[in-house]
Amino acid sequence: MTNASHEVAKGPHHASGAAPSALSAHSIVKRFPGVLANDSVDFDVLPGEVHTLLGENGAGKSTLAAMLCGLYQPDTGYITRNGERIALSSPRAGLQHGIAMVHQHFRLVERFTVAENVILGSRDLSYKLNRSELEDKVAAVAESYGLPIEPGATVGDLSVGQRQRVEIVKALYQGAEILLLDEPTAVLVPAEVEKLFENVHAMTKAGKSIVFISHKLGEVVEISDRVTVLRNGRVTGHVSGRGTADTKELARLMVGRDIELTTQRASHATGHEILQIRDLSLTVGGVNVLSDISFNVHAGEMVGIAGVAGNGQRELADTIAGLMSPTSGSISISGSMTTDRGPIHARELGLAYVPEDRLGMGLVPSMSILDNLLLTRDRRVVVDRTTVRPEATRLIEQFEIKANGPDHMARKLSGGNAQKVLLARELSGGRTATKLLVVCSPTRGLDVGAIETVRALLDDARSAGQAILLISEDLDEVMSLSDRIFVLYRGSVVHETPGESAQLATVGAAMAGLKPEGKS
Amino acid sequence: MRSPIRIVFEQRSETPKHLSVLVPLLSVVAALVVGALFLLATGYSPLETYSNMLSDGFTSSRGITDTLGLSTVLICTGISAAFAFQMNLYNIGGEGQLYLGMIGGAWAGLALGNQLPTFVMIPVVLLVGALAGASWILLPAFVRSRLGTSEIVTTLLLTYIAASLVKHFVYSPGSFFVTKNSAFPQGRLVPDSASLSGIGDTSLYPTFFLVILIALVLFWVVKKTEYGYRIQVISDSPRAAHYAGINANRTTMSVMLISGALSGLGGAVLIIGPFGRLDPGIILLGYGYAGIVIAALARNNFSAIIVSGILFAGLRSGGDKLQISTDTPIHIGVMLQGAILLFALGGEAFRRYHIHAVRTERATQ
Repeated sequence: MTNASHEVAKGPHHASGAAPSALSAHSIVKRFPGVLANDSVDFDVLPGEVHTLLGENGAGKSTLAAMLCGLYQPDTGYITRNGERIALSSPRAGLQHGIAMVHQHFRLVERFTVAENVILGSRDLSYKLNRSELEDKVAAVAESYGLPIEPGATVGDLSVGQRQRVEIVKALYQGAEILLLDEPTAVLVPAEVEKLFENVHAMTKAGKSIVFISHKLGEVVEISDRVTVLRNGRVTGHVSGRGTADTKELARLMVGRDIELTTQRASHATGHEILQIRDLSLTVGGVNVLSDISFNVHAGEMVGIAGVAGNGQRELADTIAGLMSPTSGSISISGSMTTDRGPIHARELGLAYVPEDRLGMGLVPSMSILDNLLLTRDRRVVVDRTTVRPEATRLIEQFEIKANGPDHMARKLSGGNAQKVLLARELSGGRTATKLLVVCSPTRGLDVGAIETVRALLDDARSAGQAILLISEDLDEVMSLSDRIFVLYRGSVVHETPGESAQLATVGAAMAGLKPEGKS
Repeated sequence: MRSPIRIVFEQRSETPKHLSVLVPLLSVVAALVVGALFLLATGYSPLETYSNMLSDGFTSSRGITDTLGLSTVLICTGISAAFAFQMNLYNIGGEGQLYLGMIGGAWAGLALGNQLPTFVMIPVVLLVGALAGASWILLPAFVRSRLGTSEIVTTLLLTYIAASLVKHFVYSPGSFFVTKNSAFPQGRLVPDSASLSGIGDTSLYPTFFLVILIALVLFWVVKKTEYGYRIQVISDSPRAAHYAGINANRTTMSVMLISGALSGLGGAVLIIGPFGRLDPGIILLGYGYAGIVIAALARNNFSAIIVSGILFAGLRSGGDKLQISTDTPIHIGVMLQGAILLFALGGEAFRRYHIHAVRTERATQ
């Protein structure tokens, strides 16, 4: 951003001390069982301003946003709109006050058209819908903010970025003056992020207020007029000035200490081939999910797969793990074919698999840590828990899992600790010593401290000679850890580069489907 | 916003232990209160009715043995229902599987009873009954595990077919199951070798202890074995089961078959005593349906089913006797059964949520 933007940022904030903020939270306290999610939090956003809530997962930023839009009610404290105290008993009440939230997980009906989704929930519709008139109205709203959208398109056919635009148009159509964007960039590729930021500028220019929720420092600095940093439910700092904030300072406010994320690569020579994939294709319901994928992963090497969610990464991991059978092609681990032989066979050859969905797939939520450790191991007819118990206790200590011992239920672990349990199980070897580790989005949703730990664990595993396939939507993570990088787009490898010389722009373009030089 | 008091459902992170006992108990009490309202409305004294039920069901020595005798079949259908429910498989056709168990048990008794001694015949009758019960859930289990067809519908509908089958075997002329040349169509009694007599001339049969043993074994199987572990994984997270290479289809199949076999066992138990014959009267008794309520009240815990099964047997047998001693309608027992199910299911809300009222003013202070 230019220096001029700094001036703009000052504009609404300092120009008129009398102008009341569009929306303010005053000494908000919100308590959940066992957690103080918000502890006397003050926050305000001015008209035409982008005010960011920055914090790690669990810092309380989503809770605060939920109260600002009427999803939750504060235990104590109150909210004012243009200086007047309001009670937000529901999101509908929030809408009536012109406050709308764009959730991280979209709330759209996939089978409906864009226009139908936008008008969903409106109460002033006539009994018979006049579709073309509604579509015109929706298009008019979208255009006035420079949000290109096709009102007649079915939402199920749209890309993630377009769906997000539908959510924003919906909020604007409903008359929102204040938009809360919850981690809006988490699902977008770099080009889409740029587009989103343009839209945000168009909206602020029209006098809308934006509350931007994020934990990504770079983009926060770029987009925000002001930043409020939360840690453990408390405000730890306010920083103002677009493009001028110091990311190091923000990181320290966010985490409470200085953070160094390792960017190590295999310094030693890599060993023999552990994973071999040959011409792998997978068709699901007539759609080519994976086409003609071939690569190897060597012992002591970490191969990164970059890509936007839904381009075949999950299926690639599941196929390697023996959970899906490929339509054609072959997979072998340590020289033995595993194609069509099921997950247990793959594990017997040394596979360990950390799936993306921790509590939905990797762990059984209602079971204890102890029982979850048994999930991928050989259990006898009568499950022998007494001999596994000491090992469980040892792993809890070794991986620094915050739990009340091996009987702690998986569902009650925080995201970071659940991930550590999963890693503890998969790295410690089950049926046989781990040779190949497939990990999907290992640090997603974790706080910075836990990210450090998890990355160090992966690095240790690599140094110990394990072959690692890292599949992640977090491009920074793939770029900073991988020895080699493949970009997956619509089920094909569209780009391949060594980790050291990888260029963010090239890889980002490949993720978006723009053909870069090199492999097609 | 308008009302000054708002009821808040706050999800519990953990269910307090005492609630797991308190909620079922209060469900029974609440059902009794509702029952009392009906009794009052129809001109009976609730106190007198309940005290009669109590003494007929639980406190007199004859009452106790009658109750334990009846509980034998109810515990069978209770563990049958719970075994499927724990894996989120809703076998509500225990009733039909029970009829099949009775048909199978009677067939085994009639066909083989004259050739084999008692110590062989009793296990044979029970085994054939269990197999017959399992056969009645074979089709629902197959389509459920392969095609995902709702087992609720298939098991329920098969119950009606099973009821017709019972009537067919009793009322069609020349049937294998009935006494030849009898003016009144009636099931033929199985030979002595295929039935037992009640302990000390009561209606409590030795099969009671067998059923208790089975319930305890199942309790152990679910808690301690690999099979129980697998069931727990599948019921909580089918995707985790897939991830771990657990074959959910096969386990679904086997769990449903075992559930059917347990209801069938309940039917065979009735052949050994007290029925001794295929009796169409079974269709009106609803022992299979009662198993659903017993399992729900015990929250599918196999050792708790022993308790809830006995409790239910007491309510049923006490209720049945009321009509003989007083003129209270027999249906009070069945009505209480329905009310208990409703309250037990509704009571789940208290276990899952911390429910409390808040003043809305406070929220904006």
